[in-house]
Amino acid sequence: MSALRWGRGAAGLGRALWPAGHPGLLAEEGALGGVWGRRRSSSASPCEQDRGKDWGHAELLEVLEARVRQLQADCVSEVTVKRVDVARLPEAGGFQLPRKAQPGAEGAAPGLSGRWAEKLDKEKWTMQKRRQRLEVKLQERAQKLARKQQLRVEPRLLNGQLAACLQRWEQGSPCNPWEEQLAWLLQEAPQRLSGEAQQAPADSGARAQLESQQQRLLAFFECCLLTGHLPLAHHVLVIQHSKSRPPRLLTLAMYNTVMLGWARKGSFRELVYVLFMVKDAGLAPDLLSYAAALQCLGRLDRDASTIQRCLQQMAQDGLPLHGLFSGLPLCEEDQAVLLRAVCKAQPGFRPPPQPRPPPQVSSSPLLRDIYEKDLPVSYPRLHLPQKELERLFQEQLRVEMATTVTVESVEKAPRLTPEVLRARKTLKGLRARWEAALCRALQESKASEAQAAREGRPTLLPYLCLLGERECAQLLLQTLQALPPQGESLLSLAQQLGLRAFNRHVVQRKLLSNQVRDLEKRYSQYLHLLASDGQVAEPCLPRQHWEALGAPEAPHEQPWPLPVLVQLGKQLAELLVRAVHMPSSLAAPQGPPKLIPVLYHVYSFRSFRQIGILKPHPAFTQLLAAAAERTLTFEAAEVPMLCPPLPWTSPHSGAFLLSPTKLMRSVEGTTQHQRLLERCPPAELHGALDALTQLGNCAWRVNGRVLDLVLELFTAKGCPRLGVPAPLSEAPRAPEGRLPRDAPPARKAELRRELARCLKAAREMHSLRADALYRLSLAQHLRRRVFWLPHNMDFRGRAYPCPPHFNHLGSDLARALLEFAQGRPLGPHGLDWLKIHLVNLTGLKKRESLRARLAFADEVLEHVLDSADRPMTGRKWWMEADEPWQALACCMEIAQAVRAPDPAAHISHFPVHQDGSCNGLQHYAALGRDSVGAASVNLMPSDLPQDVYSGVAAQVEVFRQQDAEQGVRVAQVLEGFIGRKVVKQTVMTVVYGVTRYGGRLQIEKRLRELSDFPQEFVWEASHYLVRQVFHSLQEMFSGTRAIQRWLTESARLIAHTGSAVEWVTPLGIPIIQPYHHESKILINGGIQSLTFSSSGDTSQHRVPRPQEAQHAEAEERLPAQLHPLAGLLAHDAHGPALLQEGPDFRVRARLLLDTRGRRRRHEPGVPRAVRPPAQPAHPARPLQVPGEAVLLRPQVPEAVQERVGLQAAGHAAVGAQDRGFQPGAGEGLHLLLQLTSGVPAAPCATV
Amino acid sequence: MWLPVAGLPPRLTLTAFTGAGRSCILGSGAARRKDVLARNRRGLSDFHPQLLPNLGFGDSPSWVSKCRLEPRRYITSPRLAETLVRVLRENREKTCQLFLECNPGPGILTQALLETGARVIALESDRTFIPHLESLGKNLNGKLEVVHCDFFKLDPTDYGTVKPPIMISKMLFQNLGIQALPWSKGIPLKVMGIFPIKNERRTLWKLLHDLYSCTSIYRYGRIELNMFISEKQYQKLMANPKNPNLYQALSVLWQVACEIKLLHMEPWSSFDIYTQNGQLEKPKSRESLEEIQQNLCLVQLTPRRNLFTDNLTPVNYDVFFHMLKQCFMKRNAKLIDHLHSLSPVDAMDILKKTKKKEKMKITNLYPRDFKQLFETIECSKDYTCKWLYDDFMDDRIV
Repeated sequence: MSALRWGRGAAGLGRALWPAGHPGLLAEEGALGGVWGRRRSSSASPCEQDRGKDWGHAELLEVLEARVRQLQADCVSEVTVKRVDVARLPEAGGFQLPRKAQPGAEGAAPGLSGRWAEKLDKEKWTMQKRRQRLEVKLQERAQKLARKQQLRVEPRLLNGQLAACLQRWEQGSPCNPWEEQLAWLLQEAPQRLSGEAQQAPADSGARAQLESQQQRLLAFFECCLLTGHLPLAHHVLVIQHSKSRPPRLLTLAMYNTVMLGWARKGSFRELVYVLFMVKDAGLAPDLLSYAAALQCLGRLDRDASTIQRCLQQMAQDGLPLHGLFSGLPLCEEDQAVLLRAVCKAQPGFRPPPQPRPPPQVSSSPLLRDIYEKDLPVSYPRLHLPQKELERLFQEQLRVEMATTVTVESVEKAPRLTPEVLRARKTLKGLRARWEAALCRALQESKASEAQAAREGRPTLLPYLCLLGERECAQLLLQTLQALPPQGESLLSLAQQLGLRAFNRHVVQRKLLSNQVRDLEKRYSQYLHLLASDGQVAEPCLPRQHWEALGAPEAPHEQPWPLPVLVQLGKQLAELLVRAVHMPSSLAAPQGPPKLIPVLYHVYSFRSFRQIGILKPHPAFTQLLAAAAERTLTFEAAEVPMLCPPLPWTSPHSGAFLLSPTKLMRSVEGTTQHQRLLERCPPAELHGALDALTQLGNCAWRVNGRVLDLVLELFTAKGCPRLGVPAPLSEAPRAPEGRLPRDAPPARKAELRRELARCLKAAREMHSLRADALYRLSLAQHLRRRVFWLPHNMDFRGRAYPCPPHFNHLGSDLARALLEFAQGRPLGPHGLDWLKIHLVNLTGLKKRESLRARLAFADEVLEHVLDSADRPMTGRKWWMEADEPWQALACCMEIAQAVRAPDPAAHISHFPVHQDGSCNGLQHYAALGRDSVGAASVNLMPSDLPQDVYSGVAAQVEVFRQQDAEQGVRVAQVLEGFIGRKVVKQTVMTVVYGVTRYGGRLQIEKRLRELSDFPQEFVWEASHYLVRQVFHSLQEMFSGTRAIQRWLTESARLIAHTGSAVEWVTPLGIPIIQPYHHESKILINGGIQSLTFSSSGDTSQHRVPRPQEAQHAEAEERLPAQLHPLAGLLAHDAHGPALLQEGPDFRVRARLLLDTRGRRRRHEPGVPRAVRPPAQPAHPARPLQVPGEAVLLRPQVPEAVQERVGLQAAGHAAVGAQDRGFQPGAGEGLHLLLQLTSGVPAAPCATV
Repeated sequence: MWLPVAGLPPRLTLTAFTGAGRSCILGSGAARRKDVLARNRRGLSDFHPQLLPNLGFGDSPSWVSKCRLEPRRYITSPRLAETLVRVLRENREKTCQLFLECNPGPGILTQALLETGARVIALESDRTFIPHLESLGKNLNGKLEVVHCDFFKLDPTDYGTVKPPIMISKMLFQNLGIQALPWSKGIPLKVMGIFPIKNERRTLWKLLHDLYSCTSIYRYGRIELNMFISEKQYQKLMANPKNPNLYQALSVLWQVACEIKLLHMEPWSSFDIYTQNGQLEKPKSRESLEEIQQNLCLVQLTPRRNLFTDNLTPVNYDVFFHMLKQCFMKRNAKLIDHLHSLSPVDAMDILKKTKKKEKMKITNLYPRDFKQLFETIECSKDYTCKWLYDDFMDDRIV
């Protein structure tokens, strides 16, 4: 390859044609080219050297020798032609044109005379001609092929001056040309491009497209570095560089990435080439560029002067030297080399000590007390000793290293009939074949991607090389196994596959580097804080402890950009479609089996869209059903952890040991949340980090007795009434048989509707069943074990457990299956609170005081005991409750406590779930100081719990009566129909921005459920009612309405200026509304083109309901953007606790309202820079909510105290996790839990 | 993956207009409209973060303009009406004397029809015309019935917001005393109207669904449509492999289902447009000249007696629909490639049975070929599963 050009001097043609180097070692060659070149030139044609010794004497000998040489040369050229033909090529970058090639024999016999000599000359001449012709031809071909086949090393520069300079350097100076050049290059001022080239495209769509292309390219370069495709990366960089200039795709980060790659290899020449390109592109090298150059010098062990000059230049550019050692994403080894280089130039240099982040404290007033330095904090310990926890850690580590968990299904085991066995055998055979086929297909696909990369496009090649072929095949087969019979949309499948590949890659990287050993050590020390027998010097929070144990972790793996993710996933999915076949008839093996594809790509048409779906062949589904295999495979991160999760220390590190987990979950591809979090000062996030860590540190176990009962029902026929879904065999059956031929079409249409209804019901049952199957199988898997549920939060700061299938959020059944692993004695009042809790679960005494509830519990104690003892055979009192399974679990707990010799000493594991009463309205009422409203949502002293829904219903009834008296027809019809249930949903959702339109639909639904309501009035009545409901709310919550208006108006104006709405929660979490300027991304080719938006709604399943889709679109879009602001008040916090704890709860809504600033930015002449959408480009101005509602100092009413008392007692009774804190800190943190854990639909899971 | 579909399934789009907002504008008059506009202005131009005083909970935000009235065409020229009557009654071989006129507006055609002695049901969606229409029917002995109803919005899919002018066909026909005729019998009534300007495609799709599933008006038999349709749409409707650029799923489905006959062509300019301020006027210059020069085609769509065979029935028509949509999505692909993703039945077998060549492209198939193809697959033996499609149109069912 480069050998040719590096051997300055006589470049013999024979050598030029001779293949240089080994084809497979491109990478090394780049590095060694220079050396080889020189060696070659010195050893060229040895026979020429002692030629003229005694030529006078042996004419004939001479002639013969010359002849032999001619023949040899001939031979060589022929051989070379052949080699070229088989695509083996000399690696010369441009095959620089033949520099007047001297034929090998020229001048060999200057004085030769005579016939022989003449003949020889003549022959030589013809030979030469022939050879020249051949050469020309050859070169043409070679050039052509070379352009295709070969990886370019040399840049093609666009700037004439630089290019000339490069040429000069290449040919010129004898010693150390590259070092010289480096220094010169660095001094050279970057060649500014002309103005228009620099400007980003004005059109936002084009800009977004450019950005996404850049992302893709950068990710490609980075991935190439990981997989050792550096020459390829360089090649692509060169090609992209030489493409047309504006708009430039390449950024400094890309050049830096490739430079860093060369630096690590110590390939100085290539590095200088890249630097040339950087200059050529008009970019100024930054710290990272210098770091790469210095690192390379360090590796090559060059003398100090070059380094010295480098450093000088750096100083001139205003880049600080110590900047090299802090804040650059370099690994330890890189830094060591870098340091060596710097030390050479400045022997006394010491890198600045790792700046320990100063103990910053969150500025949130809400958290001031918690992080108060002088408060001694002691963290509650788990009930498990250090040794045990370490063992559990090892177990979890093994699970995560395996990346998947195989769990036995709880579905009833089939009888092992021959059919079942045969099906299993077939399946096994097929899988083995598929794996081989997939590996083959992967290889092919890699080959074709490599080919494409040679043309200078960033392809998927490095990504495909990240995982082993077998591992990839396994991943695909696992996906195939889990595909539902009706198929899955290609887009979501692709996303899922891409994500899984990424996760596996991250885990693999962690395994390869030493991170696991470090983690092991650190975790073991960390456990000193948690273990029951651990010792820590200074009591602190888990995060603080973890941070104190060592330096912050290595920089996390950057997630791949969404287009890459999808593209990779799509490629994998296509492989699956292409490679996986099965015999058309499994039953009849005679004859050569005809192969049919297992997966089909079909389309489904929904509303405006068509959705590509991958659907398994029905025969495959049948085969799976016949085999009835009893294992389920989960990703490691979908299963609860077996040891306490890692504490959250940053937006990217925490929770699972190896699997990457994000602090804030968001729709894949939306980056603004992540960017916002990263920009946030770390201390501001402490509240959220600690709260989530705290939630995750709670140890859980399975309630075995409840699980047994549920499983009993599940394997039998299920029980939909109790939330145990029935098996598919219970699904409604379509009427059998075809209709007679002459049946009227209308009859057939009816049949069709019937069929459709059955199918729909069956589908729903299937998904419910699968959900329950996962949950119960995991519960069974984890039975008799202690496990942990790591938490993260969504983009509005609501906390959720990470494992999706089995956790404490969700239905009654899901909650009843769990209990605390760590028990606590009930204490003196514990039993009473348990009883009250039981009554709450039954939903029977909603409007009674606590005393009355307790009395009621004592009244029905006999039923309770009966339920506990004979749940399935007895009087089944528990089944009538609102929350039957939790009620049953509570019954059992009470039975145990009652029968204990001393109930107060009874150790309880029972969790008590809490919920506020219409949280959103509570906040609004408090902010707006609506006394009537506050009373109705239990913010005012009252003997009895109030019910806002009944209140609203009563108010509506008052209006109705007035209207009825005035003769309004609807009002008269509605007499007797207005109840709590009719208005409940609307009242609940009004704080979340439901509109009149949506509200009417909700009410209409309720009215239709009333069997005796005259259905022809439904439309009119619902219309009337929704008006009255809003009217009533307005009466009761006038301040609320004002606030809501204000928020709406603010958000509207913000949206109007083109910004996203963003704010900071009281906990300090920055929240941003998904940005609506989305750009469509198109991935072409393959079985189907995929289009999706790069930010926001990628999910196809969320097809909006038809009514909302269009009519309400205009109405609802803006409020949808707005109501999160209400969410700031509503979701973020929970009523009672808030009122108790937050005397100066301050709402800091950072609203970007400065329209003037906005306008200024749009003035002509100021280029609109590409900026991340979330970046506040102008000073944010906090606004005040009207009516001075920002500051809350409500009294704590007795009713609230009573409820809070319940809470506190509940904690004392059931051993929740927050004890052990000092009162202030502990309760504050408890408040944190509450603040972060509000989930609108399901009551919060605070414990 | 989210490509705009060539043929919109009409369900969603139709229901979108069945909500509350739209219909009330005309009724409540112009005052309200002005009010909305005024508010709009305030909301958009000025920066007033103060509260808007008289809005309650959930009132839709003021800056959202709720509805836009779509212009509607009417027949106003007596000469045109005469011509139409002549055309319509030309083939009076059958006895069907019952006309259902959609949105007659000023009632010029209605009057002409009545004069020939036909019985007319006028379905008028615009309440302002109703008194006038009713006055036409005086002294006619019930030959004219006027109903406040929008023909193109009959039977909304969610049954939720049924309120005049949106009606359920079952109730409407019951009130009108129209009896269902079996499919094999004659034509129970003729519908006469003009397709809505903007929603021609949607309306055509909705009617197709109704027709193939024998629901809505087609529950009453093979109802004949005589509709004015834009010339472009007409060409698409009638397209076949000879003009492949216009050929699409809609063409196939209509041609399979109906006999289509062009009765008359009339330039746009002969129609009047009812505009937002409640005036009838000639099409204005804002519509481009090109559009004005276009014609409207009066087509007659008569459902075929033999549409439903043993294999294509109202039970499985959606599979047929799906097949066509999918085929025409990649219209230049080969038939055999489509067959692979339509049905697990051996594609070569099917080709052999239908006597099609392997290289046949979608756009080379005539409508009847599609039907034949469908029926071949539908009646292929030895396969438990004949179609890969099983989306049982879940959103069409209540």
